[in-house]
Amino acid sequence: MPTILHAVLGYFILLFTVRVLKRRAGSQMTLFEFVLIFLMGGIIILSTVGNDRSVTNCTCAVIAVGLIHRTVSWARSKSPRFGAVIDGTPLVVIQRGVWQPEVVRGMMLRREDIEAAGRSNGVTKVEDIDYAILERNGRISVIPKDS
Amino acid sequence: MPAPPFLTPVEDSVPKVNNEIAIGENLDFQRKWWRLERAVWSLFLLILICDLLGLFGRGWLSKATRATPDNTLKLDYERIERADTPSIMTFHFGPNAIHNGRIQLYVSESITRPLGAQRIAPEPLISAVGDAGNTYTFAATNAPATVQIELEPSFPGAHDFTVQVPNEPPINAKVFVVP
Repeated sequence: MPTILHAVLGYFILLFTVRVLKRRAGSQMTLFEFVLIFLMGGIIILSTVGNDRSVTNCTCAVIAVGLIHRTVSWARSKSPRFGAVIDGTPLVVIQRGVWQPEVVRGMMLRREDIEAAGRSNGVTKVEDIDYAILERNGRISVIPKDS
Repeated sequence: MPAPPFLTPVEDSVPKVNNEIAIGENLDFQRKWWRLERAVWSLFLLILICDLLGLFGRGWLSKATRATPDNTLKLDYERIERADTPSIMTFHFGPNAIHNGRIQLYVSESITRPLGAQRIAPEPLISAVGDAGNTYTFAATNAPATVQIELEPSFPGAHDFTVQVPNEPPINAKVFVVP
């Protein structure tokens, strides 16, 4: 019983903490973000299983986390508002070739992030980008001007 | 039986930007979220400061000392403990606590049950149960003398406890166990 409660609590604490981090946490992972994810996961697992490292306890914890995750996914698909809370919404970083400073500042984006996204889409210069969109999963979609 | 056809038309379901690309951006929501993020990070900072000060145990604010009026028994303990985390409760005995080479110490049952006494150092010569607690008898030479009980509480919440040496007023205190 405590394991299941700890797993539920750990899931939501981790989800909330990662969510209030900026969106790069789950995508475009650099070593910087890997450290964060592994360290957080390792810390949460300590309080989830406690001193009971039996197969039964770990199985119950895994099933509990799986069920919570499925429930959250279901709620996310049913309610766009809940989905926005869990995942955020896409944000336009460059609109018709113009930077959107509020979004750049708010999401702590760097010009290099957009340039990297441009390169992976075959765009060699930022000036050639018509739209750059920070997606919910942290990826940056780039639409070139001549498309 | 064949599955019914999926009748939802294929069309954009989210608002378009400049009537060109369907993105579904919601800047009003995002502005609220940024405000929430700032509030949450301030809260996180506050939590860390409280933790450093010991408000959640194992720090300066969590340490407490109680003593009988004539210092026959002085008790060092943590007023805030963490569940399933070991801590030490230390008893310092003055000269008046030693009678015929023995020290007797009464501890209430709450030290054993919710506060999870794991080990007593040194080992008592005699452990007697009764009066809603345990009475330990230790061999002693001269003051100062010290006994330690290792605690590992399992139950979060507030727990009262009492400790006493014979013919001295009891020390009553409370321990908060955080999850």
